[in-house]
Amino acid sequence: MLVIRPGLNRGFLSIAKLASISQAATVTAASAAVCGRFDNLSIDRCTRGYHTVCGALGKRQVNTEVASEKDKLFLPNFCEVGPIFAVVVLSELLALMISVARVGFGPDLFSDLALISLYVQWLSLTSAAVLCVARGFLASLDERQAAIVSYLMILGINIAICEVAWWVINPVIGEQVLMTIAHQEFVLRTLAVSGIFAALVLRYFYVQHHWQKRIASEASARLEALQARIRPHFLFNCLNTIASLTRQAPEKAEQATEDLADLFRASLSDAGALATIDEEISFVERYLNIERLRLGERLQIAWQLEHIDGEIKLPRLTLQPLVENAIYHGIEPSTDGGTIEIHSRIVAERLEFVITNPVSGNATSGNRMAQDNVRQRLAAHFGEDGGLDIEAGDSRYQARVFLPVTP
Amino acid sequence: MRTVLVVDDEPLARARLLDQLRELAPEVRAFEAGNGVEAISQIEAVGPDVVLLDVRMPGMDGLETARHIQQLNEPPSVIFTTAYDEHALAAFEASAVDYLLKPIRIERLEDALKRASTVAIGRQAHLRLSVGQRRTHVGTMVAGRLRLVPVDDIVCFRADQGYVSALTRAGEMIVEESLKSLEEEFSEQFVRVHRSALANIKEVAGIEKDQHGNVVLKFVEHALEIQISRRLQSKVRKRLLGTN
Repeated sequence: MLVIRPGLNRGFLSIAKLASISQAATVTAASAAVCGRFDNLSIDRCTRGYHTVCGALGKRQVNTEVASEKDKLFLPNFCEVGPIFAVVVLSELLALMISVARVGFGPDLFSDLALISLYVQWLSLTSAAVLCVARGFLASLDERQAAIVSYLMILGINIAICEVAWWVINPVIGEQVLMTIAHQEFVLRTLAVSGIFAALVLRYFYVQHHWQKRIASEASARLEALQARIRPHFLFNCLNTIASLTRQAPEKAEQATEDLADLFRASLSDAGALATIDEEISFVERYLNIERLRLGERLQIAWQLEHIDGEIKLPRLTLQPLVENAIYHGIEPSTDGGTIEIHSRIVAERLEFVITNPVSGNATSGNRMAQDNVRQRLAAHFGEDGGLDIEAGDSRYQARVFLPVTP
Repeated sequence: MRTVLVVDDEPLARARLLDQLRELAPEVRAFEAGNGVEAISQIEAVGPDVVLLDVRMPGMDGLETARHIQQLNEPPSVIFTTAYDEHALAAFEASAVDYLLKPIRIERLEDALKRASTVAIGRQAHLRLSVGQRRTHVGTMVAGRLRLVPVDDIVCFRADQGYVSALTRAGEMIVEESLKSLEEEFSEQFVRVHRSALANIKEVAGIEKDQHGNVVLKFVEHALEIQISRRLQSKVRKRLLGTN
């Protein structure tokens, strides 16, 4: 990591020696913590000498860090090799920057770089080690607090190391060999550089964390949306219906297959896809055709659509999942069946669809996945102007979708 | 194999199974029922050897129906049919003769029917469905017939001289179960008011003192009064307040 050339002056050698001892201690602490993270997975990763430290640190790490906390904290885990390596590389780049600015590309660059790197690595690795140990605590804070606390921690550590460097190392190598500036000036410069650098690095980790989190949540949202829209119970019963109709009424079987295909094609389309009101209503009709075959007389539908503009667009499959819920929870559990009401009306510049089902005594309660999914998609498309309200009464359950008349 | 009963709430699902049965064995007499309660009365009327029973049905579901079937003197073999019930599958996998996934393949149906005719009926008596699943009906054999009473209609259960009975608005029926197991199963709906009585919370009108100074429970549509044990009084009051 460091380029040490022969022929450097004695002063530097001694500061280098001292500094590397402290740095070794820092690295030790960091690697011990790394060991701690892994100690139940692969004990051999622990360097032999640090076993005892490992044990102590390891227990604490395992206890304080549960999976959700790990995801919550924006900082990467500085107890692991990857982030530590990133810190080392970033610090070395900073050191190079300072050195080039100080002495240019002359013959002094390497000796200056060696010294600066030593100091910078010492500061940054110690900071990383402290963040590693404090990870459990930081994860328990909210994001803003964690950011402020970790930043203050880094500044505190840097002041401490700065003081140690001034009071311990400077006298040892003889006054004014390298630190030709006043004490206050030395501390201020260190703080300024490390303060700016730490802020940049934390910001970088923060942005990266959120970017990764967004990708992960988008992927899981897509999966949830798919599961919310295809209820296995419906699919297999529908296939059974078609199998039954194939013998008795082939034309009806054909029709049902076409309806099912249309529904599934819509289900599998992009989550953000739009449909016109007319298309939405036709999806509901196709779905109801299938359910009517299955449930027979038990399913009654009362449509009441006011004059609405069929060209208004809304997220695809907004209405069908709600009608499916109404049947699943309101009609299927009841031996006598019941009537699903689908009404539309215009209220205060908003178009409303109201889907009402009777509440059966043996109704099963769902996990609201379909509702959440519809609500999210309406919010994503219309903002506050679109949404879904639920009114659960003792005998009636009502889902109300609203959206702006003029998009 | 001579008689088969097909139980499913969907007419087309029944039609398909009946078709397949006819194709497999034209000599089989096949009957159908649209729900659990209907199934029990059909079983008593036609005495099938095998019942093809849908798991997910309105009212009394397939699992509960199977439990009541086991109370019969000569219970038929039960084969469950289901479209997609991952939880239910786990519950009966170990104890039912077989279960079939819809749409059912005719070869699978044939296998299941063969198995049903070879499995000793006695083995099925051990059918134990998932513990903690509440029934919608309570059944008892009365004069050789299984009588089912909806749990909602029961005003109270009481124990008297070793017999436990269920009291409804219409009458009283002996049930061959202990008050303790009934209390555990129906704890959401019934509250223990006395060492020998469970009351349906929805049927309770109020708590009063009778002329002897005893605290008694009164019912909405039943003249019955049940004395509440001293040590249960506060508990009963809490339950009644909590739900009303």
